Amino acid sequence: MADFMQQVVAGLASGSIYASLALALVLIHRATGVINFAQGEMATLSTYLAWTLTTNHGWSYWPAFVVTLLVSFFGGAAVHQGVVRPNEKGSLLRVVIVTIGLLLLINGAVTMIWSGEVRAVQSPFPTRTVEIGGVAISIQDIGTIGVVLGTMVLLWLLFQRTKVGLAMRAAAVNPAEARLVGVRVTWMLSLGWGLAAVLGAISGMLAAPSVFLDPNLMAAILIYAFAAAVLGGIDSPVGAIVGGLTLGVGLNLLGTYVDFVGADLRLPGALLVILVVLLVKPSGIFGKREVKRV
Amino acid sequence: MIRKLTLALPALVLVLVLGAGAALAGSSRTEADPGVTSTSILLGTTSPLSGSASAYASVARGADAYFKYVNSKGGVLGRKITNTIVDDAYNPAQTVQATRKLVEQDKVFAIFNALGTEHNEAIRDYLNAQKVPQLFSASGATTFGSEAAKYPYTIGFQPSYQSEGWVLGKYLARTQGTAKVAVIFQNDDYGKDLLAGLKKGIQRSKVKVVAAEPYEVTAADVQAQVAKLKASGANTFAIFATPKFAIQSYVFASRLNWKPKLTLANAVSSASNIMQIASEGGTNKVVNGSVSIVFLKDPTDPKWQNDAAMKLYRQVMKQYAPGANASDVYHVYGMAAAWTAVEAMKKVGKNLTRAGLVKVVGNLSISTNPFLLPGIGLKTSQSDHFPIEQMLLQRWQKSSWKSFGGLWGYRGA
Amino acid sequence: MRLGRQLAPVAAFVVLAVVVLVLPSFVSAFRAQQLAYVAIYLVALIGPNVLTGYTGQISLGHGAFMAVGGYTTAILMTDYGMKDVWTIPIAALLTGAVGFLFGLPALRLSGLYLALATFAIAVSAPAVIKRFEGFTGGGSGINLFGVPELTASLTPVEVLGRELVFNDWLYYLTWTVALVGYVLAWLLLRGRTGLAFRAVRDSETAAQSSGVSLPRYKTLAFGVSAAYAGVAGSLFAIATTFVNPDTFPIALSILLLVGVVVGGLGSLVGLIAGAVFIQFLPIWSQEVSRSPGAPTVVSGLILIALMFVLPMGVAGLAGRLRTLTKR
Repeated sequence: MADFMQQVVAGLASGSIYASLALALVLIHRATGVINFAQGEMATLSTYLAWTLTTNHGWSYWPAFVVTLLVSFFGGAAVHQGVVRPNEKGSLLRVVIVTIGLLLLINGAVTMIWSGEVRAVQSPFPTRTVEIGGVAISIQDIGTIGVVLGTMVLLWLLFQRTKVGLAMRAAAVNPAEARLVGVRVTWMLSLGWGLAAVLGAISGMLAAPSVFLDPNLMAAILIYAFAAAVLGGIDSPVGAIVGGLTLGVGLNLLGTYVDFVGADLRLPGALLVILVVLLVKPSGIFGKREVKRV
Repeated sequence: MIRKLTLALPALVLVLVLGAGAALAGSSRTEADPGVTSTSILLGTTSPLSGSASAYASVARGADAYFKYVNSKGGVLGRKITNTIVDDAYNPAQTVQATRKLVEQDKVFAIFNALGTEHNEAIRDYLNAQKVPQLFSASGATTFGSEAAKYPYTIGFQPSYQSEGWVLGKYLARTQGTAKVAVIFQNDDYGKDLLAGLKKGIQRSKVKVVAAEPYEVTAADVQAQVAKLKASGANTFAIFATPKFAIQSYVFASRLNWKPKLTLANAVSSASNIMQIASEGGTNKVVNGSVSIVFLKDPTDPKWQNDAAMKLYRQVMKQYAPGANASDVYHVYGMAAAWTAVEAMKKVGKNLTRAGLVKVVGNLSISTNPFLLPGIGLKTSQSDHFPIEQMLLQRWQKSSWKSFGGLWGYRGA
Repeated sequence: MRLGRQLAPVAAFVVLAVVVLVLPSFVSAFRAQQLAYVAIYLVALIGPNVLTGYTGQISLGHGAFMAVGGYTTAILMTDYGMKDVWTIPIAALLTGAVGFLFGLPALRLSGLYLALATFAIAVSAPAVIKRFEGFTGGGSGINLFGVPELTASLTPVEVLGRELVFNDWLYYLTWTVALVGYVLAWLLLRGRTGLAFRAVRDSETAAQSSGVSLPRYKTLAFGVSAAYAGVAGSLFAIATTFVNPDTFPIALSILLLVGVVVGGLGSLVGLIAGAVFIQFLPIWSQEVSRSPGAPTVVSGLILIALMFVLPMGVAGLAGRLRTLTKR
């Protein structure tokens, strides 16, 4: 029983990291209607920034953390203004290409600047472990889940309870009409990209202490994050969390107890989830159905 | 009609230009063999400069730095070495295309230290058919040394992964009589070879492998695997992984409050910089007392602080690979291979031919490679194309490796 | 006048065919091999051209279809002793069937969701290939070099009275398949099918209300597009003489997408430009810098820059030149 619970706990830990990146994906999609293939790489870049500040320049953790978030915010907004906005008028394919181009550019740049060597990243939480009923739970994992839940709440509040959030949603859903009622659509979109970059940075900094930093930090996590976002509903912050945790635990249990799945099919398992959800209920668990108007 | 033609023409012109350019560039200076002139030797290397394995690009970098150093000292019997490094992004299909380019267009003398197991496998038949030496393949897969008769032009370099696993297994059998081992291994030929070697080493003893968990290179983390291994009740933990996942294995074991009596790791899983990170400032108890394999001099080992070879290493790195991280042991690997290549070519003599080189590396007997641990020699024969088959065991104490015991040797495929 | 306009594309095509036939005499055998890969990518790009250009469905998963074709060829050759050329049509049919089957559930997805789903397939393909090890040789893959069913790999082959070494044989094989494939696609798209495809792309609801069966044409497009990718994969396996899960990574699917973008949709010129770009980009970017990561940076920069400078790709540029010269 303890072994089972240990796998569940491990699954919750991994799942919360998927959820944190999924939140960024949800935010970008909700605020701008775009699926950003470069979200993971942007998060990796932010994490390297934090690493450089703390390791090479000797900053202490929290100042580096804050600066990283600020730089990520403005970086994300700048990316939108400079690279994405000119292509928004074009076809869907154009935006997809641009985000993929960003993915390649940032991944390559990170490797060029910091090399492929693996690095350690400080954790904001103590790395001690407590044992409850034979199950080892690391304080860091508890902290991670806490931060992810907190971010989800903030995000939910932003969208549901603030004027800015309303404006962002309007700008994404119907830019033309939103402009008519005075919403500065472009600002809202850039804001969306900036905030998503911040969420990505947080995700990277939560993941790196456990998973360790190298240029491919987010590459694997991105797929699981996509699966989590799709599962939970690509427009729902709550869905991202539920999706991420479910995925983490589910895949772990499948991998441990179903021999056919084993370690090899964990990733395809996540992808199968994406496919099945997209086919059965594209809006995910918590999403709303999209109705096409003629 | 003319307008449509004018559209198709740019495309055709492009193709023609590319073609013509190549036809003109194809001129080679022929001597006895391609890639060798009276003043130069051209070698080709494929390396994962981009992609998920770019950490291994340091191997080629170290080798290249050493070649530049040798050139500064007059080269090999008056010939300067040019080492063309081509990126294959760790994709065997790219390795094939890049190798063909090196052989057919650049006309290299030999392919040197190509990195990757499947990558070397993909080009092996072609190189042997073309009679181009496949020198010192950077892979420990058993097949590179064991099929010597079928592939005379192919020589490995490092101890095979199977031999590493075997040595660790034999060590367990001799010192931990009834150990129960849980293994985490990478789900490819590398990890599987190590596991197979371990099982062979413990064969006639009471040591048992009670759990073996694979992981994919695409995994986000290996926490689930480590948890499963802990649950097996094993008292020995074996880590056959690549850097990132080796660190994760150590750290997750600690986080899960697992206290195995002994942890084993193969060479790649236990480079010093990995151990430093994994030890988490000394708090990770799983790391302490780990036992591993070593055959190269570790640049961060205080023991070699004043060693002549490592001083040379640091100097060469500083001068010819500025900006590279000299504590990365992969550079040493590359340099050791480059040193051996230079010695081999010197031995062939003024009349440098591919056949001559193959003969020399097929009958190596060198014990003075300064980058290898003292006592470890390079030896090959017609049936044995593994130059290095000796290694030492080392134990992680406090914050560095300390080798112990005598040399271990491995014979047999 | 009308006859001229109809003859123009045919004439251009004939000129191309002649150039292709004659070129190997002017270039080195190695360059011929590189051009063979251009032909392979050309075939691979016809797929997305049909799918995206004509029915508006975005696929990021064509690398996976190439893998199906490549492995079909490899397995047929090594396990069933089939000659390499005969495996090509089988690969086409098999991959086409897989694509068609995938097209069925894909009907329910659109736009970004379809892109995401196909991305998921491309990412998982290597892992799935590895899982069915007994069949596919797992991580070690399947080696085709020197296998007797592989033409000309060890000794030159005689074709129409000429002796061809491996590189030249590859060149002629791949370009023949590419040109034939292009003609077939052209014929398909000219007819009613092409019209139906374009109707679907321009407005699904309008097409439906004019009686165009969406399911039929969308799945057909997927099937055709996959078949081409399968043929490309088959040729790729023959040319590379080796397949394993890592030879069909997600990077390949992304590269195909890049080729579509660079070349633009809907013209032969675009296809050639895209294929040339895919084949030579890794080589060119290495000329720029050998540092780890540099080639990837160059690829990313080019992609982004292209979206600014040539959003419609080379085909778009050609189209613009056409309108300019019309005056």
